Amino acid sequence: MASVSASHLILFIASLVIAAGVAGTFTQGISRLSQGIDDQSLEVSEEVRTDIEVISDAGSPVYDNSSKTVTILVKNTGTSTLDNDTRFIEILVDGRYRTNVTSTVLDGERWRPNNVVRLEIGADLAPGDHRVKLIVNGDEEVFRFRT
Amino acid sequence: MAAEVFRLGFSVSGSAAIVFVGIFLAFSTAYTASANGFERVSDATSAVDDEALERQNTVLSIANVSYDAGNDTLTVDVVNEGATDLSADATDLLVDNTYRDDYAVRRVGGDNSTDLWLPGERLHLEVNATSQPNRVKIVSGPGVAVTEVL
Repeated sequence: MASVSASHLILFIASLVIAAGVAGTFTQGISRLSQGIDDQSLEVSEEVRTDIEVISDAGSPVYDNSSKTVTILVKNTGTSTLDNDTRFIEILVDGRYRTNVTSTVLDGERWRPNNVVRLEIGADLAPGDHRVKLIVNGDEEVFRFRT
Repeated sequence: MAAEVFRLGFSVSGSAAIVFVGIFLAFSTAYTASANGFERVSDATSAVDDEALERQNTVLSIANVSYDAGNDTLTVDVVNEGATDLSADATDLLVDNTYRDDYAVRRVGGDNSTDLWLPGERLHLEVNATSQPNRVKIVSGPGVAVTEVL
């Protein structure tokens, strides 16, 4: 009788340990997934809130031939504050990625909604049609001009 | 006595209870995270929709642009002809592609302290310009713009 109850006790403990292991693994997996969903939703909502607009007047000269710079003005027309650091703004002129860029917020400290950033892009452009493509937080803008 | 306590039924129901509690905890975490995430994204979408509606309701019209060579002043008058209220602070003036916010005068319907630019009101801007500009562009807060050639 004693050996039966001892083996039952062992089975009881073993089943609890296994159940705890299964529940633990399951909870851990789900909590990792929840963390992922949380991070992803933050990212997606930022992307949805981001909206920029190139407000430069293409009818006026955009390219300065003497300093070889393209100056464009970009307005934050979205609902979130963006980072105006050039590391977070992807700039392509005629399909070529540009790194020689200075970015300045013209009407404030940070690039809040409604604020305008001036981008001065160093690029040696031949006379003709050109296009600038900006990518901020997944939002793409194309600006076309003539030199 | 001991044999009655540690029956196999206890093992099964005990481990089932632990697994159920685990599943319950896991799903409560998952539900909270996905509900918060969903709400965050739908908030963002509705903010963007509001913005789009505002943009649709915005109409600007340049009433007058004149340059006075005598006192080097460029005067711009813009009328809010839309159905939404705009912000005078959020409105940008570009003179020959140069951003100008150093207004000598900025009035909305005769009031120079207000930021609200309501439908039907006229925004009056004066900036210093040493030579006659060619093009003037006004960009409103939602991004709707008008240009004028002098």
